[in-house]
Amino acid sequence: MTDELRVPGAPVRLPLRRPERGRVFAGVAVGVAAHLDLPVRMVRVLFVVLTSLLGVGAALYGFLWLTVPVGDPADAAGAGRPPVLGRLARRQEDGRPFRLPGNEVLIGVLLLAAAVVLVVVRANGDAADLGWMLPVLVLLAGLVLAWSQLDVVARGRVRRRSGGRAQGILRIAGGLLLAGVGVLLLITEVSGRGIEPAVLAQAVVAAVAVLAGVALVLAPWWLRLVRELGDERAARARESERADIAAHLHDSVLQTLAIIRARADEPTEVARMARAQERELRDWLYSDRAEPGTSVAAELKAVVAEVEDTRTTPDGEAVAIDVVVVGDRSPDDGTAALLQATREALVNAVVHGRPPVSLYLEVGDEAVEVFVRDHGEGFDIDAVPADRFGVRESILGRVRRRGGTASVTSKPDRGTEVHLVVPVGPCLADDEPAAAQAVGEASVAVGTSPDGKPNGRGRSNGKQNAAAKEQAT
Amino acid sequence: MTSGSVPVVPPAGPVDVVLVDDHHMFRAGVRASLDARVRVVGEAENVDEAVEVIHALRPPVVLLDVHLPGGDGGGGTEVLRRCADLLAGTTFLALSVSDAADDVVGVIRVGARGYVTKAIDGTALSDAVVRVASGDAVFSPRLAGFVLDAFGTAAGDVATGDDELDRLSAREREVMRLIARGYSYREVASELFISIKTVETHVSAVLRKLQLSSRHELTRWAAARRLL
Repeated sequence: MTDELRVPGAPVRLPLRRPERGRVFAGVAVGVAAHLDLPVRMVRVLFVVLTSLLGVGAALYGFLWLTVPVGDPADAAGAGRPPVLGRLARRQEDGRPFRLPGNEVLIGVLLLAAAVVLVVVRANGDAADLGWMLPVLVLLAGLVLAWSQLDVVARGRVRRRSGGRAQGILRIAGGLLLAGVGVLLLITEVSGRGIEPAVLAQAVVAAVAVLAGVALVLAPWWLRLVRELGDERAARARESERADIAAHLHDSVLQTLAIIRARADEPTEVARMARAQERELRDWLYSDRAEPGTSVAAELKAVVAEVEDTRTTPDGEAVAIDVVVVGDRSPDDGTAALLQATREALVNAVVHGRPPVSLYLEVGDEAVEVFVRDHGEGFDIDAVPADRFGVRESILGRVRRRGGTASVTSKPDRGTEVHLVVPVGPCLADDEPAAAQAVGEASVAVGTSPDGKPNGRGRSNGKQNAAAKEQAT
Repeated sequence: MTSGSVPVVPPAGPVDVVLVDDHHMFRAGVRASLDARVRVVGEAENVDEAVEVIHALRPPVVLLDVHLPGGDGGGGTEVLRRCADLLAGTTFLALSVSDAADDVVGVIRVGARGYVTKAIDGTALSDAVVRVASGDAVFSPRLAGFVLDAFGTAAGDVATGDDELDRLSAREREVMRLIARGYSYREVASELFISIKTVETHVSAVLRKLQLSSRHELTRWAAARRLL
């Protein structure tokens, strides 16, 4: 677990955080282990051993639970990096972090067991103290229930669960009720056996009235506090976004502009640099930047970037390729072959055709289609000599070997269009609910193949993905 | 939006245009690149100024940048909303460098008749202006791609009736795919053996669907891209 949390180049000591990954209760042990660079198992054993010594471990655990903020230690360490490395567009989430189901139930059972043990011990000894025990336990249970709300809010899980808000209110209400009952029981205990029900009711009404009055007086102040907190958060988010943009502009755009100015007499080079910078900036601003190996669209963009950067027309002019992508899926062998063929077709269009060059990729349920179009003279595919390996083998052969089809249409004045189709197995459809998340999870689920590639090979891949999809939904 | 070999001819005289963009350099560039079929009669560089100028001049066409300072921060969308009373006589052509789907589809949903990228050349831009002035819609390849993405490309997604707002007809989809592949209207027409007028009709129908559809997938698609 510690290995997973450590990042190359991160500071020697990770900050103390309670990660969501690998936690059993509240993530204290995992966090401490990451912080001290010890095995988690050892830290957990230590806590248990300390608990047997007058409950020191449990107290320590509780203290850390309340004081240590939630978060990934590695991320927290990374937050100290220069903002240059930060990005504006968000990354796709890489799946749900591992959590033991029924955490709360486990905690509850443990608390209950402790209570029973205490009660039994006390009952055997001094029976007079038993009266104190129950109210205190009830009070404690109420406090725990109410405080656990804080932890949940901090983890942001309320957002993810649809019924989160209602659950939170239930927690608070339950906690209040339990605590109230506990306090009442305590009072009865203090004032000797037996308070008259009428007096009790009167006291409760008075207490509630006082509380309501205080709440009413403090409400505006509290509301303002909440609003200010929200404002401050938004301002902070804006500020960090602005810092990000400024850092990025400084780092790449300004530098590119400086280079462009210095080399203003080389139009091809300038055009190419401007295009590369534009591409990078667009990617930075507008795309969701999929994890590597999860998106055909992202791979296609890399292919286009490579062709734009390295190829020119015979006159030495850089060519911008107009790319339109519809749908997306995770890559497999078929799409890999298709992308290689697309690359060859693009090179052909840039080098032998005439701009503008357009590229259209459509991901369907059963096939992925690519159209590469330029406005050059075009060529007759049947007239291409068999020894010209380029078109015949690298474009058409590649696709046909994958069971796909490839055709070239050339018309005078209308340019040339290469049409490639490769059949693909069932995959995560793009319009699946929460597609981004599902794709992320699929990549996690499939990412266990031995060669480290996120996707298996060939036919089995479809099944694997289907399984992953079932898991995801 | 590559220009066809024959330029689109305006009905009568040059088309008056108000140019709304916050970059002085870009406005100058557009003014210089537009040909004789288009005349720039006014300019504005922020939301409030744009609303004022458009209401004062009531031009047939407004070239509108999606990202504009001023107003309530709504940019081009806000200009369109505040000029909603003029939509009968004034058409808006959105112009942007942005690749973001919410920018593109956002302005279309509030009433723009087309969307072109700022990389467009002068002739093609003039073509587009004349085209929206005569009541047609202008789709860039990217916008066509967004439409296909939003309405789905699966075989079961084909509309059967004309009044169906939530799906594209087979022909509309075919037209959208050709535009996404970089075909001009003229090229689409000859590829499908139909008249340019028919292509324009199909594109306008798609635009209407994009504006009016309450298709579940469309809203979900938009939400996924932080649009709604």
